[in-house]
Amino acid sequence: MENRIETVQLEFNPKSPTIMHVDLNSCFASIEQQANPKLRGKPVAVAAYATPRGCIIAPSIEAKELGITVGMRVRDGKRICPNLIVVSPDPWKYRNVHLRLREILESYTDVVTPKSIDEFVLNLEGYPSFTRGMIPVAEEIKERIRKEVGEWLRVSIGIGPNRFLAKAAAGLHKPDGLDVIDKQNVVSIYTCLPLMKLCGIKTNNVARLNGQNIYTTLDLYHAPVWKLKAAFASIVGYYWYVRLHGWEIDDVVFERGSFGNSYALPDNLCTPEELSPILMKLVEKAGTRMRRCGYRARGVHVSVLYRNGCHWHKGMTVQEFVFDSRDIYKVAYRILCMSPYRIMVANLAVSCFSLEKSLYTQEELFSDMGKKEHLVQALDAINAKWGDFVITPARMMGLQEKVVDRISFGNIRELEDIGLQAS
Amino acid sequence: MIQKMIAPISVALVYNHKTRSVKPVKVVWENRSYTVTRIGFHHTLRQGRTLFHVFSVESELLFFKLVFNTDSLGWTVEEIADGEPN
Repeated sequence: MENRIETVQLEFNPKSPTIMHVDLNSCFASIEQQANPKLRGKPVAVAAYATPRGCIIAPSIEAKELGITVGMRVRDGKRICPNLIVVSPDPWKYRNVHLRLREILESYTDVVTPKSIDEFVLNLEGYPSFTRGMIPVAEEIKERIRKEVGEWLRVSIGIGPNRFLAKAAAGLHKPDGLDVIDKQNVVSIYTCLPLMKLCGIKTNNVARLNGQNIYTTLDLYHAPVWKLKAAFASIVGYYWYVRLHGWEIDDVVFERGSFGNSYALPDNLCTPEELSPILMKLVEKAGTRMRRCGYRARGVHVSVLYRNGCHWHKGMTVQEFVFDSRDIYKVAYRILCMSPYRIMVANLAVSCFSLEKSLYTQEELFSDMGKKEHLVQALDAINAKWGDFVITPARMMGLQEKVVDRISFGNIRELEDIGLQAS
Repeated sequence: MIQKMIAPISVALVYNHKTRSVKPVKVVWENRSYTVTRIGFHHTLRQGRTLFHVFSVESELLFFKLVFNTDSLGWTVEEIADGEPN
């Protein structure tokens, strides 16, 4: 098998491209500009907090043109552009746009995979829309998004024979791009595409490739499998070979591995006692989401980022499955107390792992698990009817405005929750 | 300047049976009437089982984020902005 892989020589995939990657440009900021026309054409940044230390999570196209990037602090953005308008995220707005985009895209094919809140992959192979041609369909999708969702929203669409090349094509001309990568133009595209522009190739991988005398995307494309395997020191080299030759390798669905929540602390808190209310709220949020999706967990993980840049984390596996937020909290608090540091915390995260489906089914002998299940179900039902955190543990008192609703950028698993909440 | 708040507000809403669409046409805020010139976005959200309709609307001078509670049939304004930096 190993030898067969090393000697494999693939031609570039000759089939007509059927994969389409749709990427909503400057997603959160564009949606804010769509909602508030007074922000259109102005540099806008969506930031987790509008305070100077707040992190910019989405600059508008106008802000990006001035050099404002994702991850920049609000104060640094304001230094570049004193007129920068900073707005808070509004997750429900973004979820609504996501669902409307999904509805439009599903009218062309059943094979629509949301990759994140602002990215979708479609496979039109075998669907009537494919016979109309990929480019006319892409142009129609752009037009429908403008008409049916919002005239300020622009999407970049990439078309390719596999997911990777469709995404690469979508990134060629932003915003509002429409590009195809296929057998005819692949060499000319690779000639102009820097290695670092490839999704999944960053500094470390570039160093690995340079070690094998691979300096450009074209070098990477022409490199034999053995060389790529040597560069990546694993099967990953073969995957890159297949990917760059237009064959599908990324059509994989990973099972949900964990439910977690994190919080960037604006206050200076150090000790587990001080952090406990926030930990409780994080556990409550993660636990509610986990139960809503019908899971329970065997492990709890706590991660702490300190203001001095240090990072400490620890996971713990428990003997019995946990689903009640109070039990998850007990484990999480025990883990937090194990941290050797008593310095100011910048970010606190908690997650539940080793998940198992079929919550509320397994009866345990000699325990009051049944009672507990019914209680948790009742509490969840009350919160579902009257709104999250209507009933909360006393430990969370005074935390109403903290750990607010946030939306994850890249985590596709969160979209399960969107679907559930929308139904 | 963007101002966040939760305050009751008077809103005139028009339903067009031909297009089956609704739109806020007038807002009365602090004894002043604002004619809605454009609806930027309309979306929904749920808090518990209560459904809220959120209209992001623009008048000549100001932007309003109007929230309609389908249980109480009441309107609140959650954001007012003039499009200038904070």
